[in-house]
Amino acid sequence: MRHVVFLLPALLLLLALPDTRGRYNDDFDDGEDIAEFDDNDFAEFEDVSEDPAVDVEKEPPPRAAPSSTPIEDDEDEATVENEDGQDEFEDADAQDQDMYSKYDNEEFEGYEKTNPSFKDTLIYREVPAHLQNSWESYYMEILMVTGLLAYIMNYIIGKNKNSRLAQAWFNSHRELLESNFALVGDDGTSKEATSTGKLNQENEHIYNLWCSGRVCCEGMLIQLKFLKRQDLLNVLARMMRPACDQVQVKVTLNDEDMDTFVFAVGSRKAMARLQKEMQDLCEFCGDKPKSGAKYGIPESLAILSEMGEVTDGVMDNKMVHYLTSHADKIESIHFSDQFSGPKVMQEEGQPLKLPETKKTLLFTFNVPGMGNTSPKDMDILLPLMNMVIYSIDKVKKLRLNREGKQKADRNRARVEENFLKQTHTQRQEAAQTRREEKKRAEKERIMNEEDPDRQRRLEEAAQRREQKKLEKKQMKMKQIKVKAM
Amino acid sequence: MTVNNMADPRRPNKIFRYKPPNTETNPTLEDPTPDYMNLLGMIFSMCGLMLKLKWCAWIAVYCSFISFANSRSSEDTKQMMSSFIISDISSTQRNPQM
Repeated sequence: MRHVVFLLPALLLLLALPDTRGRYNDDFDDGEDIAEFDDNDFAEFEDVSEDPAVDVEKEPPPRAAPSSTPIEDDEDEATVENEDGQDEFEDADAQDQDMYSKYDNEEFEGYEKTNPSFKDTLIYREVPAHLQNSWESYYMEILMVTGLLAYIMNYIIGKNKNSRLAQAWFNSHRELLESNFALVGDDGTSKEATSTGKLNQENEHIYNLWCSGRVCCEGMLIQLKFLKRQDLLNVLARMMRPACDQVQVKVTLNDEDMDTFVFAVGSRKAMARLQKEMQDLCEFCGDKPKSGAKYGIPESLAILSEMGEVTDGVMDNKMVHYLTSHADKIESIHFSDQFSGPKVMQEEGQPLKLPETKKTLLFTFNVPGMGNTSPKDMDILLPLMNMVIYSIDKVKKLRLNREGKQKADRNRARVEENFLKQTHTQRQEAAQTRREEKKRAEKERIMNEEDPDRQRRLEEAAQRREQKKLEKKQMKMKQIKVKAM
Repeated sequence: MTVNNMADPRRPNKIFRYKPPNTETNPTLEDPTPDYMNLLGMIFSMCGLMLKLKWCAWIAVYCSFISFANSRSSEDTKQMMSSFIISDISSTQRNPQM
């Protein structure tokens, strides 16, 4: 890979070289052209349909002019000129003389020798824009570079803002976390499990923090998902569609820390989305999200629950108080013992294993301000973290009664059965196709067999095998019937 | 002992190490923007180089900048630099065409 990186620029430089050489050639060509023009001053006008007489008339006077000027000018200049003329334009001169010897002076009898005013015929051509060396010809480049500079400026400003927000959040939450967890901050790479005491920066807009070493839970992963302030395109897109920074907390629990239930509460939009996306919510909470007003929480929040007992258990006074006072900041809260992430799109014809589940508590909080947050706003999220800690302890204590437990177990058994059924048909189909393939292969072998005797014998063997299978099946059916009786 | 348990919920003996989430099993968690922008940048820079279109080259430069801004910190910086270089070189070619 490194070789490729070094080779590529070299390759491109090589490609660029012919271009530059080409330009040099152009310069030389221009020089030669200019030299030629000195001789054939009006050679370019030869093709233009004017009077040939006029053309020719113009030509002898300039011939006369250079020859006369050496006499008039300084001797030095004249000599230089002469010499130059002689050295460089020797051949050209000879050429010209040959050309003009064709024209007899007698031809021009009768023509009035008018001194053509060269000044009238001098046409100043405008140099095309791309050959000029002025600022105007580079307006496209200037525009683009200005855009790039704006992008870079925005990148630096956005990156710094996100970094300051993350640091402010961590500073305000550090005390709470350190009093609750033995390990605060871990990137998983160090040999010993010591607190790094700082956030992991995954991106310019995503920061992670792993906390572990607490009673009632395995660990807690906090993700600060800020807006992409470092990307100018995103900034412009957000002007159309406002979004806000999010704090996601994922608490993983041990098996003994949580009873078997699935529960979610959050904004209506979030609940509708989660019910479609999340595997466990889809399977266990089939009903539509219920309004939270029944349990004393604001109307804007909706509840998804496996059974009413769970909701009653979770929605105690303190929880209701938390939810009511911070309803605007709560996007979703999801407790589940069957959490396996969002639904995975399955490929056809692949027998699946039941997805691995983990007892998890998920919290998604919106940072107030709709993008215009300042580091001071991070203190507002502290009560929410208190709620998280409270929830962890609560879930440990929450146990379903006997009925609830039975119902929950039945639900889980039902889901597993459904899953096995689905995969069973798939597996059956796969087995069927395999059997058919085998049969076909055998038949082909028999057909390809040249020796008729061997063919006959193979066919008989196949027939005998099929008969045996049939007999076995019949025996099984008889046994089942006997057992049923 | 019980007093300690009530007061201090921390358990140093129950520490689990951080394991980065496996993005292969959860493809929805990944943000595809930097990869798309990288690819677009390559395509545009090649177009600009072959077809000698300046605007293609400039778009390539922008794409590579966007890809860099959105990239994950774990990614190799060398690969990003190579796309930078390609698009920059192709855009600085002096072409009379626009």
